[in-house]
Amino acid sequence: MLMPPFNLHHPETVEEACELASTFLANDESFDWVAGGTDLLPNYKWHINVKKHVISLANIKGIDTISMHEIGAMARLGALADSEDVHPLIASAASKVASFLIRNNATLGGNICLDTRCFWFNQSEDWRRSIDWCHKEDCGTGSDCRVIPNQNTLCVATYQGDIAPSLMVLEGLIHIIGPSGQRQVPVNEFFKLDGITRNVLESGEFVLKVTFPEGVEHRVGSYKKLRVRESWDFPEAGVASSWIVGQPSSLRIASTALESVPRYHQSEIDAIEEVFSSDLVGSLSKAIMKSIKPVNNTALPPRYRKSMVRVLTKRSLHEILGDKA
Amino acid sequence: MAGGYRQQPGANSGETRKDGKRVAGKQKFPPPGSGGSRPNMAPRDLDSIPESVGGKEPQPAGSHIHDRYRTGTEVGKSRALVDSHAKVTGQAWYGDDVRLANEIIGKILRSPHHYAKIKSIDTSKVEALPGVLAVATGADATNTFGVLPVTKDEHAMAVEKVRHVGDLVACVAAVDEATAMEALNLFEIEWDVLDPVFDPRKGLEDQDEPIHWRGKYHVGTTNVQKRVFQEFGDRSLVDDPTASSHGKWRMEGVHHGFTEPHAVVAHWDPNGRLQLYTPQQVPHYAHRALSTVLEVPMHQINVIRTFVGGGFGGKSDPFPHEMCAAILARKAGRPVRINFTREEVYWINRGRHPSYIEVKMTADDEARISGFDIDALIDGGGFASFGHVTSYYNGVLATAPYELGSFHYTGARVWTNKPASGAMRGHGAVNTRCAVEVGLDEMAEQMQVDPIDLRLANLLPPHSRTISGFRITSNGMREALERVREGSEWDSKFRQMSLGKGIGIGCGFFISGSGLPIHWDPNRFPHATVHMQIDMDGGVTVHTGAADIGQGSTTAVAQVVSEVLALPIEMIHVRSHESDTSPVDLGSYSSRVTFMNANAAIRAALDIREKLLNAAWEMLGYHPDVLVLNDRRIYYKHDPAVGVSYLQALHKAQEDKGSLIASGAYRSPPMGGVHKGAAAGLAPAYSFSAYVAEVDVDVETGLVSCTDVWAAHDCGKALNPLAVEGQIIGSCHMGLGQVLSEKMVYGRTGHLQNPNLLEYKIPSVHEMPHVTPIIVESSDPEGPFGAKEAGEGPLLPILPAVVNAVYDAIGVRIRDLPLTPDIVWKAISSKTRSLGGIDETELPSPRLEHSPLQATLVARGAEHKVRDRRRQRSEDTSAYVNGVLFGFDPNQPLEDQVEGWKSAVEPVPEQLAELGLAGKAWLKKEQRQMRGDQ
Amino acid sequence: MIPSAPKTIWEAIVNGQEVQAIAPSNAILLDVLRDEVGMLGVKRGCDLGTCGCCAVMIDGEPRLSCLCLAGQVQHQEITTVEGLANGAHLAPIQTCFATHGGSQCGFCTPGFLMSAEALLNENQDPTRDDIALAIEGNLCRCTGYQQIIDSIEAAAEIKRGDAPAPTPASDPHPNPHPEGPDEPSMPPGHAR
Repeated sequence: MLMPPFNLHHPETVEEACELASTFLANDESFDWVAGGTDLLPNYKWHINVKKHVISLANIKGIDTISMHEIGAMARLGALADSEDVHPLIASAASKVASFLIRNNATLGGNICLDTRCFWFNQSEDWRRSIDWCHKEDCGTGSDCRVIPNQNTLCVATYQGDIAPSLMVLEGLIHIIGPSGQRQVPVNEFFKLDGITRNVLESGEFVLKVTFPEGVEHRVGSYKKLRVRESWDFPEAGVASSWIVGQPSSLRIASTALESVPRYHQSEIDAIEEVFSSDLVGSLSKAIMKSIKPVNNTALPPRYRKSMVRVLTKRSLHEILGDKA
Repeated sequence: MAGGYRQQPGANSGETRKDGKRVAGKQKFPPPGSGGSRPNMAPRDLDSIPESVGGKEPQPAGSHIHDRYRTGTEVGKSRALVDSHAKVTGQAWYGDDVRLANEIIGKILRSPHHYAKIKSIDTSKVEALPGVLAVATGADATNTFGVLPVTKDEHAMAVEKVRHVGDLVACVAAVDEATAMEALNLFEIEWDVLDPVFDPRKGLEDQDEPIHWRGKYHVGTTNVQKRVFQEFGDRSLVDDPTASSHGKWRMEGVHHGFTEPHAVVAHWDPNGRLQLYTPQQVPHYAHRALSTVLEVPMHQINVIRTFVGGGFGGKSDPFPHEMCAAILARKAGRPVRINFTREEVYWINRGRHPSYIEVKMTADDEARISGFDIDALIDGGGFASFGHVTSYYNGVLATAPYELGSFHYTGARVWTNKPASGAMRGHGAVNTRCAVEVGLDEMAEQMQVDPIDLRLANLLPPHSRTISGFRITSNGMREALERVREGSEWDSKFRQMSLGKGIGIGCGFFISGSGLPIHWDPNRFPHATVHMQIDMDGGVTVHTGAADIGQGSTTAVAQVVSEVLALPIEMIHVRSHESDTSPVDLGSYSSRVTFMNANAAIRAALDIREKLLNAAWEMLGYHPDVLVLNDRRIYYKHDPAVGVSYLQALHKAQEDKGSLIASGAYRSPPMGGVHKGAAAGLAPAYSFSAYVAEVDVDVETGLVSCTDVWAAHDCGKALNPLAVEGQIIGSCHMGLGQVLSEKMVYGRTGHLQNPNLLEYKIPSVHEMPHVTPIIVESSDPEGPFGAKEAGEGPLLPILPAVVNAVYDAIGVRIRDLPLTPDIVWKAISSKTRSLGGIDETELPSPRLEHSPLQATLVARGAEHKVRDRRRQRSEDTSAYVNGVLFGFDPNQPLEDQVEGWKSAVEPVPEQLAELGLAGKAWLKKEQRQMRGDQ
Repeated sequence: MIPSAPKTIWEAIVNGQEVQAIAPSNAILLDVLRDEVGMLGVKRGCDLGTCGCCAVMIDGEPRLSCLCLAGQVQHQEITTVEGLANGAHLAPIQTCFATHGGSQCGFCTPGFLMSAEALLNENQDPTRDDIALAIEGNLCRCTGYQQIIDSIEAAAEIKRGDAPAPTPASDPHPNPHPEGPDEPSMPPGHAR
């Protein structure tokens, strides 16, 4: 497939990258970041949201750290999956992403910033023309949303990243850098609004690394992913949970692949006033299921995916509680 | 000592008489490659020579007419494909690997509308774009083509209207891809958008603007492309059934999913001949269609088949993009290459038809199958393709392997505004086979008998006729069932496993080559022809048009030639790429290549063999009857030392005429009934298969995983067991995809939602069960060395085996394919609700308590086993037709014995009211009949 | 003609040989390897990362060339299927794919060979599960994977030294070339 024309840039330091970004911003020239390319390039091949410039982060040294408390944005998912240094939950979630070959290209930063997906959107230009485009990439036509017609305010494309919920339940902190400097956002506040806005990154900013608080190594975690095939497939639903054994208040649950952003389920946990234990798994799972609203834009129907949230949550919680299956 | 040598080759080497004459039995044996008197000729491989001609290869199914040509060289031995080294080194050249000097890139403009008339196309801006070298539209080629001569309904590009999103509208060739892509945006087209039809059920209704118009043969003003009615047997037998099954199925369309996208290169050479490179299963059809569309005689076109990166039926139609490339190349005067993206592959489709199938089955008080009543409505998409045949296959290929009291089939194929369906591995037989086998399982449960015993007691024997008149020759069905039962430990598992674990059985029956060559009268031209040529160097060049699409047909042809001539396979060179040098051949479809091409190749090789033996006769003085061919040497049967080398004999045979040239042909014997449609499903032999599948069902999520498959397939004789096993395992993979995850999803708006390999879910290595391939060899009397097909038949049983296993696991019958987790979960949920809202984990597992009928079946099965064995080995050569089980005399026409025995191909008016969904196509009249009414 | 992205010189070591190619700065590695370097053994199956037909080794690691910007792997070592054999001597993995049915239509074979070779370079005693994991990103429609796993197991045996190395491809048969007509021939009736 023909790549649309763009200029590829290879900054070698973070500063150079920020400088490039500010230049483009100043000249009002559009650009994208590319890390591994496994998410961006398919979209580019389909001529979706192509920018004039693409800045590659591949040549920047030192942003691929892999450790218990810090993971660089350029850390390859394949390396994370094999690593004994990172939290086992991260390794486990990374090992479930797409396929072995894709994990060798893909990076943590890319996975966090994964573009939202929708079967009306992830299609070739010819295909999208045949439906008169859609809200997420309307090509200047002001097209309506194809999933839920007659509402063109929000995009309901689904966020199908595998790793975000695990980062959330491990209380990760995302370090962002851009022309206006560095800032930190907790992972559970990183994702924002709808399928177009997606996250809090401002123009010119990119994810530098994710750090985890002291004591994260004491957390026990579990990520359950629903997919038709054990390879390639994005999650149709995913639930991660973690806690520090014996500390009910440390329970964290997050889900992905159900809405336009991954969900952090603290309010559902807080709403249950009893102390977390195996007896509570059923009601908690149900509460979390009720809190999410998937739409029909992935391979499996939304009603089914919603029901499965209960099963996945249940299984995830039983696992961290050490209950028998 | 092997091979009856008086003496091991090489012993006492060097011993000669002083007068220069040979000492009988004490000569050195020849080196490989020449023969003569060198020491290391390979000893005869008696393990690969049949018992009937003095070897050690067991022949449980009796001897075969080709036995006396067996030399023990190649047949029956697992070997690498002869082209495998090209493939593992990256040197195999597929469509996209053809790079010609000065080539340019072609791109196709595709319809954004489901259904629309083209009012006008303005190409002036396209032509004005610098770098564009040729532009073509439908007006450049208005002749129609199609794979079947009776339904030529395709154009190179849309002439009047487009029929689905992605249909070809125009094409352009430019110096590079970017320019060609840009050019596509510059076409100015005025459309008149029409109302599309997506639901095949709607296609049965009259419409203002049917998708195609068939003139006086058009059915009303509907979109019915083909309708079929068939009724055989005694319909009264279905009254008062002991067991019955009634199932309504919905099966989604599936795609071949070959890894190589279509690609074509067209080049008009300096002499004005078209050289067209394309990965085709059936280069000859493309050849014919190109000639028609381009209005160029066939001899001015050379179709060069590249390596084919998987076909499975998806590369067997002549394709419009092949025409486009030729048209563009003619206009531009330069070679044009067109590569498809994966999305375009889905748009040209030709995959399995989305189907609505209804099956009613009954069994009588002796658990005999008294009736099959099948109704199949299949969604053809925008073009006819192979659909005419598919419409028949959906019914007629369900008439065996069981003996039936009656058979009733109504089928209809309708056009819809979707990419065209066509032929795919297991053509037409897969969906109804699944429905029928699941129905048998259900009836077995009602009668409280084992489903395997039910099948074993209702099989047609070898050398019999099916209810619709197909001639069955060899038949390994019984052995296949017995072996999977044993291999899977069925008797200790079926209906005995815990919730979520299940085991199921399914059988298959498929043609081994279509009895009717589509484009000509088989009485006037053979099905397959093979040419052979040997020059002084001794190498054998075999010319065949059989298209190797990875199944190993080139290897099979090389193997049989090698076997007959006792030459190492490295000396056999198969040339099959160019139509200029290949004899006309129907190509790789309907599982015909091994049966027909290998048979033709054997005949050509026998011709050469005779010439060599006659030369040896002249040289040795021994009659060919007592001469033995072995490893490049021909020698006296009773004294291997007395012989000549292959080359010596060859050169003797060449003395007067130079190169030895031979041609061999295969033609199927006359067979089958005379009713309309009798030729559909007719084949010189049929393959049989039985699979047992074991599954795990996650009752909470509905995820089904198949863990183990025991797959027995009767391929007659495995010429290359490794390749046969590869076909069996590969078929399991493809069938599992269809039953568990693959579907072409047409969304709310009729658009194909998943035209890519991420969302079209072909099983990965993790979804693949462990398959135990079991080869059953029934030695077909007419097959090459007894062989039958192994490419398509093995796909059929996996679907019903899995569906039946899912029932065994969770007690829920699901008739929506594929069994994606949401479908299974929904079925489980409604079951738990119907049981008062119990938890999924408390679902009752089905159990089996045998009824008295079980003993009847076991006894009948045992009796039939003796019958079958005698017939297989020709110890019993009496006539056997479907109906004997019901007490009829096979030597009298059944019509004379039973009042009401039918053989009908059109419904009588009283039947019209009770026809199923597809049968409703018969409510309309053809245009010519309507005119007659006026 | 439509202008492309600015062209740059792309340099890498492909199959042990330094190559230079002029390619647009946004070129995809797959396109550069096929169209500029001429490695047509690298196959384009889906172009979107699912089929694995385009897999190549980059610094020894199997990766998808269709989802890899050529610019990101400048100066790195790239191995394609063409780089597996040592002259006419096929690598064990190649021979085993041929002899164990790992290749039917052959289109996916180059990608599988890359994934398999990379696995065997790291682990010469893989379990069938290890092999399945290594090839989970490759799609094969013909074989159902089973004979591919068999092939890789057989190659692992050779690599470990548990099985003899295959005979070189240049010598498929002890003497495939028949001798000329200068051999003594026997007159008819001689043996009596």
